[in-house]
Amino acid sequence: MSSLLGTMSIAMGALEAQQAGLETTTNNIANLNTPGYTRERPVLQEADPIINGGIAYGEGVKLQGIESLRDSILELQISNETQQQGQSQAYVNAMSQAQTLFPDDTSGIGQQISNFFQSLNSLSTDPSNLALRQSVLSAANSMASAFNGAANQLSAVRSSLDQNVEQTAGEVNQITQEIANLNTKLAKLNSTAQGYGSFLDQRDNLVQKLSGLIDVSVINDGTSITLTTKQGATLVADGQSFALSTALDPASGVQHVYSQGADITGKISGGELGGLLQARDQTLPAMQTQLDSLASGLVQALNAAHAQGFDLNGNAGGNLFSPVSGAGAAASMAVAISDPTLLAASSDGTTGSNGNLANLSAVANQAVSNGMTPTEAYGNLVFQAGSAVSDGTTELNASNTMLQQLQQQQASVSGVSLDEEASNLLLYQRAYQAAAQAITTVDQMLQTAIQMGAGK
Amino acid sequence: MRISPYITQTELNAMSAADQAEQTALLQLTTGKRVNVASDDPSAAAREVAISSQSGDCDQFLRSIASISSELQTADSALNSGVTALQRAISLGVEGANGTMSQQDRAALASEVQSISQQMLSIANLSYNGKYVFAGTADSQPPYVAAAGGIVYQGNDSVNQVQIEAGQAIAVNQPGSQLFSAAGANVFQALSDLATTLQSSSSTTDDIANATNEVRAAYNQLNSARTFYGSTLDQLNASQDFLNSEKLQLTQQTSDLVGVDANQAATNLANAETARNATLQAAASVGNLSLFDYLGSRGR
Repeated sequence: MSSLLGTMSIAMGALEAQQAGLETTTNNIANLNTPGYTRERPVLQEADPIINGGIAYGEGVKLQGIESLRDSILELQISNETQQQGQSQAYVNAMSQAQTLFPDDTSGIGQQISNFFQSLNSLSTDPSNLALRQSVLSAANSMASAFNGAANQLSAVRSSLDQNVEQTAGEVNQITQEIANLNTKLAKLNSTAQGYGSFLDQRDNLVQKLSGLIDVSVINDGTSITLTTKQGATLVADGQSFALSTALDPASGVQHVYSQGADITGKISGGELGGLLQARDQTLPAMQTQLDSLASGLVQALNAAHAQGFDLNGNAGGNLFSPVSGAGAAASMAVAISDPTLLAASSDGTTGSNGNLANLSAVANQAVSNGMTPTEAYGNLVFQAGSAVSDGTTELNASNTMLQQLQQQQASVSGVSLDEEASNLLLYQRAYQAAAQAITTVDQMLQTAIQMGAGK
Repeated sequence: MRISPYITQTELNAMSAADQAEQTALLQLTTGKRVNVASDDPSAAAREVAISSQSGDCDQFLRSIASISSELQTADSALNSGVTALQRAISLGVEGANGTMSQQDRAALASEVQSISQQMLSIANLSYNGKYVFAGTADSQPPYVAAAGGIVYQGNDSVNQVQIEAGQAIAVNQPGSQLFSAAGANVFQALSDLATTLQSSSSTTDDIANATNEVRAAYNQLNSARTFYGSTLDQLNASQDFLNSEKLQLTQQTSDLVGVDANQAATNLANAETARNATLQAAASVGNLSLFDYLGSRGR
């Protein structure tokens, strides 16, 4: 049989346990609006019974610790989706800037190409007219400027992305270092220790933040987590973080990203960094190449046509545009002549002939770039810039929706519900009151027992 | 199953979706365009580039037609008076071939023929905007000049073409060598011959009739060659009509392609507003009541 003092100690244990419950509940309520907070609950366990004379007496309750309610699978899914979202967001932002350089309406390169060919048609009605010749040269200049402008701004978008790559790599380093520090702290703490959950919350928050910046694989061994990129470059191992570094790559003229000396630029596939690199190293260079191809194709075809004719002085036509080719063609496109009499409109050397203008006009229907006419090639650029943004936006919207659902699921596991906390509060209060009542009762019984002796 | 206690987040997501739909509908209504940036519909945007270029070409062709037309009309009316003048020369020739005519009368006829020749020279050297219209492409100097052997042609036989529709170019001039100085039908030679024959006392009526026939041949050549101008002007008119209807059609195509269906956009806007209001109302009515509110009231 048990003793009264034993009973007293059971009641004392109960007081402690209920108080811990109350504290946890209060902590949950206090963190109701804390982002990333995971609700906690006390882990209570029956104390080992005492067996006396074949009878097992319960020894009350034991507080095992405080646990956070988290779903690690959901956390992984959220991390993956955040990587996708970060990438799409950065990509859409970058390509939206590029898209404005290729308008589909009455501005931009397409319009200038049309204007140029229209000015040739105008000149064909009066080929020796100096004012009309001057307007052909003006239209040619405007067309060249439009190419220059688009090419330069495309480069500017690329170099601003380049700066973003550098900054983002810096942010990655800051976060991986904080995660490594938390790993060290967590390794020293018992998992049931007070405050353990809040360190986990902090670390989870950082991992989600990191997922928005770069593709990460999380390996969780219980206390410590190891983070690598999807392609295996280590970012954090236990208490150590491995910083990314950036350096100018002379071949491409942009910053490359290195991890422990290895160039991982082409291997980063997610997060903001992934999106920036996709735009900087794939989509924008492809558009630049097409723009250059259009510019050089147009210049070559127009120069070839121009050379077939004769200028107002009866001399054979020279270059209408300065010859350009390959990379940088669009940026350096320029009209070679400024004297309108040098425009080779004539096909027979007489001033009144407009025969060569037909040759120049025919370029409008020639395949000058990848089998496309100038207008088609520009339309294709508009299409590509538009699709890059629209495809990216579709992915971004899908990620956002997915992420909202995942976060809701996570909240259903880890979120603080005031209803729940209120009822818990009541439960703990009642249990506390009952335990206190038990102590009072035992105390009275003890007094009875003591008075039993005193009354002799 | 435990559900997410964070209702506000759900509300915010719903509201931001409604906001976005509202903004899109509003932008479409204010610009009248469904495609405001290429990403709204990339293939429609690419098509719009082509259509916008075609439409600009139509405008240009119309401007070119207007500027060619006035030159062609000037040339046509000049040739018209040339034809009338030659008719007069022929009737002078016929008159001169009459056996009852005195030599003095014939000399008077000859001097009128000479003045017709002068008139024809000024017609053949017609200039428009500083260019000689009947000089072929050598149009910077008068095509007909007086030389030792009579009036000679120093223009060329070239013809300029101007594109007036996509893929269609037309000739816009007729060189003088086709009009005034074709082989066997030279206006100036014929008039000079007629004047000389009328003046000469040794000329028979047959000689005069022959010279008149020479003028008649030149007249026939000029009269048939000048129809070029009339038919070209007709063609320009036809092209003008075609281009105007083409432009309308392109405008319609653009509107179908990137324009917005105003009713649809207005409905979208109304729907988005309704959705937003409903979300707000729901958010307001859900409120922030929890069990605490009821537990608290016990004590009061």
